[in-house]
Amino acid sequence: MRTLITMAALGGAVLIAACGAETDPDAEAPAVAAKLAEELPPIEVREGDGLPATLPAGLIWETNDEDPTFASPDAQRGGTYRTYMLSFPLTLRRVGPDSNGFIAPYLRYNQLGPVTYHPQTRRPIPSLATHWAFGADGRSIYYRLNPKARWSDGVPVTADDFVFAVQFNRSKAIVAPWYNNYYTERIRDVKRYDDYTIGIQGADAKPVAEMHYQYGIGPQPRHFHMLNDTWVQDNNWTIEPNTGPYQIGKVEKGKYIEWHRVEGWWADDLKYFRHRFNPDKIRLRVIREPNVAFQHFLKGEIDSFDLTRPKRWHEKATGEAFDAGYIVKYWFYNALPVPSSGMYLNTADPLLADRNIRYGLAHAMNFERVIDTVLRGDYERLPTFQLGFGAYDNRDIRAREFDLEKAAEHFAQAGFVERGADGILAKDGQRLSLRVTYGRPDDTERLVILQEDAKKAGVELTLQLLDAVLSFKQMQEKKHQIAWMGWASSGLSPRYWEHFHSANANKTQTNNLANYGDPLMDELIMQFRASADLDQRVALAHRLERMVHDAGVVIPSFQVPYTREGAWRWMKLPAWLGTRASGQLFNSQALSAGLFSSGGLFWIDAQEKERTLAAKDEGVQFEPSTVLNTDYRGG
Amino acid sequence: MLSPLAVKQWRRFRSIRRGYWSALILTATIVLSLGAELLVNSRALVVFYQGELFFPTYGAFLPGTTFGLDYDFETDYRDLKRVFAQRGEGDWVLLPPVAFNALENDLKTDSYPPYSPSLRSGHYLGTDSTGRDVLARLVYGFRTAMAFSFVLLAFNYAIGIATGCAMGFWGGAFDLLFQRLIEILNNVPTLYVIMIVASVVVPNFWTLLAVMVLLGWTQMTWYMRTSTYKEKSREYVVAARALGATSVRMIGSHILPNAISVIVTFIPFSVAGGVTLLTALDYLGFGLPPPTPSWGEMLSQGTSHLESPWIVTSVVAAMVVVLLMVTYVGEAIREAFDPKQFTYYE
Repeated sequence: MRTLITMAALGGAVLIAACGAETDPDAEAPAVAAKLAEELPPIEVREGDGLPATLPAGLIWETNDEDPTFASPDAQRGGTYRTYMLSFPLTLRRVGPDSNGFIAPYLRYNQLGPVTYHPQTRRPIPSLATHWAFGADGRSIYYRLNPKARWSDGVPVTADDFVFAVQFNRSKAIVAPWYNNYYTERIRDVKRYDDYTIGIQGADAKPVAEMHYQYGIGPQPRHFHMLNDTWVQDNNWTIEPNTGPYQIGKVEKGKYIEWHRVEGWWADDLKYFRHRFNPDKIRLRVIREPNVAFQHFLKGEIDSFDLTRPKRWHEKATGEAFDAGYIVKYWFYNALPVPSSGMYLNTADPLLADRNIRYGLAHAMNFERVIDTVLRGDYERLPTFQLGFGAYDNRDIRAREFDLEKAAEHFAQAGFVERGADGILAKDGQRLSLRVTYGRPDDTERLVILQEDAKKAGVELTLQLLDAVLSFKQMQEKKHQIAWMGWASSGLSPRYWEHFHSANANKTQTNNLANYGDPLMDELIMQFRASADLDQRVALAHRLERMVHDAGVVIPSFQVPYTREGAWRWMKLPAWLGTRASGQLFNSQALSAGLFSSGGLFWIDAQEKERTLAAKDEGVQFEPSTVLNTDYRGG
Repeated sequence: MLSPLAVKQWRRFRSIRRGYWSALILTATIVLSLGAELLVNSRALVVFYQGELFFPTYGAFLPGTTFGLDYDFETDYRDLKRVFAQRGEGDWVLLPPVAFNALENDLKTDSYPPYSPSLRSGHYLGTDSTGRDVLARLVYGFRTAMAFSFVLLAFNYAIGIATGCAMGFWGGAFDLLFQRLIEILNNVPTLYVIMIVASVVVPNFWTLLAVMVLLGWTQMTWYMRTSTYKEKSREYVVAARALGATSVRMIGSHILPNAISVIVTFIPFSVAGGVTLLTALDYLGFGLPPPTPSWGEMLSQGTSHLESPWIVTSVVAAMVVVLLMVTYVGEAIREAFDPKQFTYYE
């Protein structure tokens, strides 16, 4: 759910609408005007909820134009950025059935929210809104919209579009239960105060720093949507107006989708959007096999390619195009929330209920060896459960290291002293044998190394590889002993309730994979959730993270705190390559990870392209080049 | 005492050279693989330490402390050999020809697996992507595949022959009922059943076998049913019945021996089928759980590490050779059992 929450909150609740491609433009204008003139029905508000009828007095309006910019003034406009997707989407809708395909990020991130977060300072910066203020109840937020904001079809973005967003997302017509629920349970009220002023009320109070992330919903083009029983079918291939820099321009079903830069994009001159989103077009073509796509990249038919995985970086990304310097390799360390990957020990299991066994197990796992060998020293050991949230990180915690003596000591305390004939520890006939459930075949080679070295400590690991969906299902049903998996991380602060609160222990379909519960921890988690004070939250997070470590229910595995990409010479980046929050360098979208506004920094140098192609034809070589940037390593 | 017919068939089989030699080589390989622990193993054959002899191959593990090393997990015998050589106290270690087992990761600090074949490192066919010896995995994988195939064959044939015989012998409603049952079973997609089973339990040798037998025993029934029908109406069976022979005697002494020649010719092909099936399942990831050495797993690793050709070449070569030999044996048996003696094997 983590990922989903992010998308909804920031990408806004926008939908895809039917663009009038076949409609006569003259006929459409009055229709839009008539639709805009309609009165919207009021939003249903529960008892105890609801925003004041008039804008409260004494609101302190804030904005942010003092943070540094992060795009390069050298950027050139123009060109086509060519990339690929593995399959053609089943729909161009942004919500509803089958809408979670390869193009979903492109659609979502071209629908702006009222604010986004600055990728360097992590502070809010204006987007559709210019100013914001917080209500006294701690759960409402007010926005002043930028009157210049326009939908891609030229219609102004107004307060009504935000009100409509709630009605839209609560509607059964869109067949999107998750959105229905979110906009009912989390978003309690949205009010229009004038054309360009709105208020949003959420379910509970949140720290000020996270209010936008939690409740800053995006608008929905109300002039475009007709909510009825056939909305889903009607909108499968319509193009919804959006507020971002790119709009779908050309579609050939099964082959490609081309995004075109919106002409005279309303936000071009906003401080934090200047010199960004430079290519005129983004062309996503269908290439069904990553290895085939890589061949296209080598030929220069794709402009950039992800090379993060060790095998790609070290083995595949070699050869002529690299040696001759036509393709440049980039290795960029970022500071994004790290996925919480590792072993989740099910404490409902009689063996793993003993903390000594859990500690012993952690000391019996030779992650260092896996990193040094099959991972080629490229990955890093993840020191603790959650990391990458700035001040919230508890950087004093170190993961338990591979140490056979310590492992033996802990196992001995649990009564496992004698080794059986096969070298595995046993107590009263029970062998120290544990099952690891996992869902990615590629992880087998990591696990077999852990498995072999665990034998030295007298532990037997049996490996259960399941289909990805089935393995997750089994974990959610808490049928595992050890779950080998990773939670995607996002947001501004770590999460504890879903993973460690006893309310989620020993229940199916929850994320508490350790089935762990501790009264003191429960109390601190609830305090953490309720607190709106940043310092207090940070202190609590540090303490909770330490408690997770002390409980020993998670053995953190690896982190990849960087992105590695290859790009043809003509693909240019700022001298600083990217930002703290750049998940990818060659990211053409407005937002990265649905939260920080870090994308669209690159540009295409037309002259360089000509030069490179000519050099390639003539066999002229450049210096091979690998650019390493460690500015944000370790935070 | 062999019947004259059997002697004739045996002579004929021997005269087909490539089938005969294939049979000899295959048998030898299978017998050798039963003692694979003595040939391919990380455990030493003999250790001489302070005047005492140790034979670690079979039996309980010997912790490093046994030989004066400072750890209590299993002794690293290759290392022990070096240690003894350094100490120079007259202790010695005799290692098997290939001193690696199929599970251990022999990883180096200065380079990354897969490592290429090398005489110096002792990995004669190189290692896979986690530093496991390819040769060791081939040998143990062969043993597993063969064992699986033979046990599968035994069960399939036992059930198939019994049912087929009964269908042919009794006929009538029993026959009809089983025909329908077999038709239903034949339409169950094996792969899906195995995927479902794999999601519930970690598949092991016996669960996989159980599923295969459950869906695979039907193949033989049709042949047995037909030949039983045929033999049942022959005069000698009728005569036996007239003499008051029981059903069991009629089937066991009269019908089966005559019907069985049909079955014998299928055996080698069923063996090949069993090996291929297990390999395919392992290739797809639904077979025996890792880290069980298996050809299918090696094949899938080899195809994803084409830049390390020794993995895929080794396993493909081994498969081709084994399956080819099994097929030659099959051809020779078919030829030897062919009643039409005037045809010639080319």
